[in-house]
Amino acid sequence: MIGIVSYGVYIPKFRIKPSQIAKTWGKEVSEIEKSLGVFEKAVASYDEDAITLSIEAAFRALLNGEIDPKLIGGITIGSESHPYVVKPSSTTVAEILGMGTDYLAADLEFACKAGTAGIQLLSGLVSQGKTKLVLAIGSDVAQSKPADVLEYTASSAAAAFVLGKTNTIASIVDFTSFSSDTPDFWRKDSEKFPSHAGRFTGSPAYFDHVLHASKHLFAKTKMTAQDFDHVIFHMPNAKFPKEAAKKLGFNPKQLAAGFIVEKIGNPYSASSMVGLAATLDVAKNGQLIFMCSYGSGAGSDAFVFEVTPEIKAYQKRNTETVARQIKNKEYIDYSLIAKNILTKYKI
Amino acid sequence: MKIKVAGTGLTKFGELWSKDLLDLALDASNDAINESRLTKNDIDAVFMANMLHGKLTGQDHLGALVASSLGIKGASFRVEGACASGGLAVHLAIQSLLAGTYKNVLVVGAEKMTDAHVSEIISALMGAGSEQERKAGLTFPALYALMAKAHMQKFGTTRNHLASVSVKNHYHASMNEKAQFPFEVSMEKVLESPVISSPFTLFDASPITDGAGAVILTSDSTTPGVFITGSAVATDSVDLSSRKSLLEIAATKQASIKALKQAGVEIKDIHLAEVHDCFTIAEILAMEDLGFCKKGLGGEFVQKGHTRLGGKIPVNTSGGLKACGHPVAATGVKQIIEITHQLQKRAGKRQVEGANVGLTHNVGGSGATVVVHILQS
Amino acid sequence: MSTPVAIWRQHKTLSPYLNKVGKLIVWTKIFVAPSGFEHQTPYLVGIVDFGDHKMPLQIVDCEEADLKLNLKVITVIRKIGKAKAEDVIEYGVKVKPL
Repeated sequence: MIGIVSYGVYIPKFRIKPSQIAKTWGKEVSEIEKSLGVFEKAVASYDEDAITLSIEAAFRALLNGEIDPKLIGGITIGSESHPYVVKPSSTTVAEILGMGTDYLAADLEFACKAGTAGIQLLSGLVSQGKTKLVLAIGSDVAQSKPADVLEYTASSAAAAFVLGKTNTIASIVDFTSFSSDTPDFWRKDSEKFPSHAGRFTGSPAYFDHVLHASKHLFAKTKMTAQDFDHVIFHMPNAKFPKEAAKKLGFNPKQLAAGFIVEKIGNPYSASSMVGLAATLDVAKNGQLIFMCSYGSGAGSDAFVFEVTPEIKAYQKRNTETVARQIKNKEYIDYSLIAKNILTKYKI
Repeated sequence: MKIKVAGTGLTKFGELWSKDLLDLALDASNDAINESRLTKNDIDAVFMANMLHGKLTGQDHLGALVASSLGIKGASFRVEGACASGGLAVHLAIQSLLAGTYKNVLVVGAEKMTDAHVSEIISALMGAGSEQERKAGLTFPALYALMAKAHMQKFGTTRNHLASVSVKNHYHASMNEKAQFPFEVSMEKVLESPVISSPFTLFDASPITDGAGAVILTSDSTTPGVFITGSAVATDSVDLSSRKSLLEIAATKQASIKALKQAGVEIKDIHLAEVHDCFTIAEILAMEDLGFCKKGLGGEFVQKGHTRLGGKIPVNTSGGLKACGHPVAATGVKQIIEITHQLQKRAGKRQVEGANVGLTHNVGGSGATVVVHILQS
Repeated sequence: MSTPVAIWRQHKTLSPYLNKVGKLIVWTKIFVAPSGFEHQTPYLVGIVDFGDHKMPLQIVDCEEADLKLNLKVITVIRKIGKAKAEDVIEYGVKVKPL
């Protein structure tokens, strides 16, 4: 059965607290912390971008899985912050990883679910027998308009998953996807920063797609929330995933392992994927994992994973766990963010 | 060898806004030709030293440009070896005289740096380093700072040792009306000025300068003037990281051994020297690598005053690169001129008593090229 | 910064430098930068010994106070300098403390 062979995560070490951002713009800190529930977010350095983050995460996946990069036959990078509008991030990452030239590469964009879309698409290559191993990456150095409320949560991270048929640590039992044309969050090519539709991003956007996709997968697999040991949702803030979990019948304990948003913010395409990695860091053989991502525009990718006996040996090899990277942090003030804005937008 | 310095010409060094490169080269060249009592028709070849002009302005073909502007129709060449361009031009000119190909040659080193933006100049100067050094964001102050760090780690050299080089050279420059900074500075001033690349402050570094120096060299040994009796070049890796040791500039040793041998003198016979103090540590390294003092003790040697006017071995009476200024390709020629004037007893207030044997030391990059000349009266 | 073709050649040389450990020999903090690096100042650069060869590399994700002689450092791939609006982005090797 097709499944996850290995994975890697990269979370930049710098963290900023909402109080620092609020201070910069003269806003009230406590209100923000209460409503969003994010306590600190990860900030990438001025010389990092979605490509460099992808390389770090993917390299770790290859290292942990003891995988020869030349055997990877497909690579997708899902991001909202691809460095180029025309020129794929995936080929630069593939070149630097040493993947050679015999592979399919495609850059994906679907707001925060571009990375998980890659998992569904690339698994098709494997099941068709076109290649034995594929690499799906979600990576973002998320953009937000300075002083906008998104600035408190938009963060940076990357997660890379190698999929294959043999030596898997978690099987992909099934997946489904739910999509519609929903303008909740967008950025045209000519614009520097994204725009969003305020409260419309809640019920008709996030919740509509997450709940529908999840219920469809429950029906397809004839399972309910009680059957799962762990659940991960896309985490734009701390509130939405908790509410979605409740509505679908999950309890807080099931959400705990992959609930990373309070510590690193929302790294867009990497959000649910880093949550999945955090869950696999602690999961046990035989456990069932439910994951549902969300991407504005809009859509949700839902997955059921089953952990295999291989997980124990893998956890021993994986030294750069999500927990470890969350702990390895250095607090900064707004100056790095200001520098990044100047650098990126060539002011 | 018995090459004679028949004439010298030196422009003021500094921010010379109204002069362009050609003006500077011609001013210095005409002075040198006039001093030599030769005419333009006697000059067989022009060796023109320059590092940055093509990159900064798009003007290449400088040998022909300078020669033809002077009305000289013989041979012309542009010589480049980073900051050693001037010394290399002198060396190559000497070879042509020794070979008998030419009899009288003009060597002119000129640089026009102040038209460009500072960060452009810093980048352009990094042409003297390696590609990997440029990708690492290195600058020349940073490269020499790395050497200073190594020297401080190994030998306990201090920032005060480094600063004493700058203080001494400014003292010398205060007696040189051609110098860019003809004034003294205090230790405090050097130590407390802005850090440019730790541990260097602004005053550990030579400045951005316009200027030109020219000499007429002749193989006619009956010409009145000073002899050049030794001229040697040595080479090492362009990349600093590839050197055998960060604690020395090995090419300095190689070149000076050859030059001293040619001249038939030893380092202890040298009365004064012009060395390449692009950064303070460079002068400390030169003291050790040339053999004026033991390895590791260069800082102390300078701090004790041995290289100050009146001391054991006056070094950089012109003010050195730091205080006289460093129009890159002009420096090597200026060094020849300073020693020549000293040996001719024309150095005015900064005259070294009994100066008969002098040495010049010109370095390219972080030590990839070194040219050493010995002059005798 | 480099031309697209030079960057193309350069990127092909990077994979052997993934996850390489070396030791730091000397370093300096640069305050005055060449073109293309002004946005980074101040930044750290040092010489790293990888055993079989030494290289000058930028040191990231740390302060000057964190550095000491023979510090173990590990390579990372980061953006080199600042590409102009119409240029290709150059990626290259830097190091950070292990």
